[in-house]
Amino acid sequence: MTSTTFSAWKTLAVAATASLALAGCTNSGDDSASDQPAGDDKQVVKESEASGPGCTLDKYGATKLDLKGAVVGFSQSEPDTAAFRAAETASIKSAAKDAGVKKLIVTNANAELPKQIADIQDMLNQGVQMLIVAPVNSDGLDPALAAAKQKGVPVLTIDRKVTNTSCSDYVAFLGSDFYDQGVRAADAMNEATGGEGKVAILLGSSGNNVTDERNAGFKEQVEKEYPDLEIVVEQTANFARDEGQTVTEQLLQSNPDITAIYAHNDEMALGAVTAVSAAGKDPGEDIKIVSIDGTRNAVQGIVDGDINAVIESNPRFGPLAFETMTKFYAGEEIPEDVIIEDDEYTSENAEQDLSKAF
Amino acid sequence: MTDTVSPTTTGAPAPEATGRSRRVDSDWVRRNGVFVALALLLLFNLVFTDNFATEGTLRLQLVQVAPVLIVALGMALVIGTEGIDLSVGAVMALAAALIPLYIGYGTGLAIGISLLAGVVVGLIAGVLVAHVGVQPIVATLGLMVAGRGVANLFGGQIKSIRDEGFRELGTGSILGIPYVVAIAAVIAVIVGLVVRRTTYGRQLVAIGGNKLAAELAGLPVKRVLVTTYVVSGLLAAMAGILLAARSQASDPTKLGLLMELSAITAVVIGGTPLSGGQVRILGTVAGALLMQLITATLIFHNIQDSWAQIVQAVIVIAAVYVQLGRGTTRKSRTT
Repeated sequence: MTSTTFSAWKTLAVAATASLALAGCTNSGDDSASDQPAGDDKQVVKESEASGPGCTLDKYGATKLDLKGAVVGFSQSEPDTAAFRAAETASIKSAAKDAGVKKLIVTNANAELPKQIADIQDMLNQGVQMLIVAPVNSDGLDPALAAAKQKGVPVLTIDRKVTNTSCSDYVAFLGSDFYDQGVRAADAMNEATGGEGKVAILLGSSGNNVTDERNAGFKEQVEKEYPDLEIVVEQTANFARDEGQTVTEQLLQSNPDITAIYAHNDEMALGAVTAVSAAGKDPGEDIKIVSIDGTRNAVQGIVDGDINAVIESNPRFGPLAFETMTKFYAGEEIPEDVIIEDDEYTSENAEQDLSKAF
Repeated sequence: MTDTVSPTTTGAPAPEATGRSRRVDSDWVRRNGVFVALALLLLFNLVFTDNFATEGTLRLQLVQVAPVLIVALGMALVIGTEGIDLSVGAVMALAAALIPLYIGYGTGLAIGISLLAGVVVGLIAGVLVAHVGVQPIVATLGLMVAGRGVANLFGGQIKSIRDEGFRELGTGSILGIPYVVAIAAVIAVIVGLVVRRTTYGRQLVAIGGNKLAAELAGLPVKRVLVTTYVVSGLLAAMAGILLAARSQASDPTKLGLLMELSAITAVVIGGTPLSGGQVRILGTVAGALLMQLITATLIFHNIQDSWAQIVQAVIVIAAVYVQLGRGTTRKSRTT
C-alpha cells in the first residue's frame, strides 16, 4: 500500500469519526424532540394531599421576583427521547413563554447525577433567578442545592422528590403520588379481570423509588381488596419495551396459566402486547394488561383492544410549576408536597381522550 | 467439527516439562468447561424446572439468543485478532433506527441501508485500528458513544414499525424453524468455515497470535484487520435489524444497550482468549446459549434480577480465571 492511499484512509477515518461525534453532540440540550404538541391535559392539584407546613417567601428567605422578564433555568434529568421527558420539557418551555419570562435556559443531565450538579451550577453562573429541577436521583443533589441557596435562587423540584429539607434546601415538590398510581392500577386490574386471575408483574428498574412505590401500592391494594387476584410472578424489565417483550415471552412459558399482566410503565406493557400476540394469545382478552404512564402508543393500544387500562402519570408540569412559583412570590403559603391529580384511560374514554395522551 | 484454530508458526511458548499435566487440565477446562456447564444446566432445567421441557420454551431460548449470538460471532473474530469491538451495541441501535426511516421505500431497501450503516461503522473502526494505529478499545469506544448519538439523532423517540415483510422476518419461520434462528445458525456455520478453511481465517489467527511476526511474514495485516471490523459491524447491524423485527419497533436509546458486554462474555466463556490468536466458534455458540439459559433459569424460578446479574458476573470471572489458569498454576508452583 502506498503512502498516498494510507493518508487518504487516515483523513477519511478521522473526518468520519469527527462528523459522527459532532452529530452525536447536537443531540444534547437542544429542543429537537420538544416541538411536538404537548396535548392539553393540564395538571390539577389534588386538594386533599397538599400536605405539610407551608413555605412562604419570608420563611425561605428569597427576594421577591416578577417572573415576567426573569431568567429561569430548567434542569431536565433524562434524555428527551423518552415520551414522558419530551412532554415534560415541552410543557415547561411553553409555560415559560406564557409566563413571559425573559429567558429560559434548559439543560439535560442524560440521567447522570454529576452532570446535573454541573448543569445547575452552570445555570447559576449564567444568572438564573429561579430554578425548576427534575432530579436525576432523590439523593445527592446537595452541592447544587447549596450553590443555589447561596445565591438566593429558589428551587422547585418536579416529578421526583429529593430527600433534602423543604423550604430550606428547596421550596417544594410538585409531582404524582406513585403509590396511589399503583393502588389505582390494582383497581383497574380488578375491573379488567372481574376480580379473578393470575397476575404477572413487570417491574421497573431496581432501586428506583417509582418502581418501589408503584409496586407497593398495587400489591397492598390487591392484598386488602382483591383476594382472588393472585400475584404469581414478578420480574424486572427495566422500563424498556424490548425487555418487556423478552421477559413476558419467558413468563408465558414458565407460567402458562397467567391471565393478567401489570406493567410499571407503558413501554413494558407494549412489549408485553407483542409477546402475548407472538405466543398466539389475544392481548387485552386472553391476557389482561394494565400499565401506568399514558403515552400515546399505550392509549392507542386501549383503542385497539390490546391494553385494558392505563393509569396516567401526567408529565405536563409547566403551567402548575409557574403557577406555584407565582403564588410563592406573591407571598402565599406553598405546601411541601403539591400532589397532582392523575387521570385514567380505559376502553370507555381512550378514543375521545387520545389527544390528551403524550 | 473441531473449532479451534491455533497459529502453528506463531504459537505460545513451548510448554515446560514439569507441571505439564496440571496445565493440560486447566487447558481442558478452558476449552470444554462451557460445554459441560451448558449440558449440566440444561439437564437441571429439564429435570427440575416446571414447564421447561416444552417445545415452546426451547424454541424461545433459541429465538432470544439469536441476535446475541450473531453479534458474538463477529466479536469472536475481532477478539481473535487481539482486538475488541465496543461499538456493536451502538451499531445495532443505528441499524434499527434507520429501518423506520426507509421502510416506506421497501423492506429490502431499508434492510440494505441498515446493513450498509453497519459496514460503514466497521470500516471506520477498522481503518482507525489498522491504518491510524488507534488501540481497538479506544477506537471502538469512540464509535460506541458517537454511534448511539447518531442513532438518537436519526431515530429520536421509540418508533413502531408496521411492515408486513419486516414482521414476517421477526416472527415467521421456515420448515418450523424461526427465520431469526435459521439466520443465526447459517451465519455460525459460515463464520466457522471461514475461520477454519480460508486463507483469511488463518491470517486472522496468525495476526492475533503475533502481529509483528505476521507483518514480517508479509501477511496483509491491515486488510485483514479492516475486513474483520467490517464483518463485526455488518453482523451487529444484522442483529439490530432482527431485534427490531422481533419487537416491531426501534428504540435508539435502549436497543443493543450493553450488548457489547453480552457478546464479549459469550466469546470469553466460550474459551476464546482475550489475548488473541484463537477463535472458538462452537465455544462462542455454547457461551451465548449458556448465558441465555442462565437468564431463563432465573426467570423461570422467579429469582430477582439483581441476583441474575450477580450470577452472570460470577460466571464471567470464573471463565476469565480458568483462562488465566496457566499463569496461576505456574505461580503456585514457585511459591
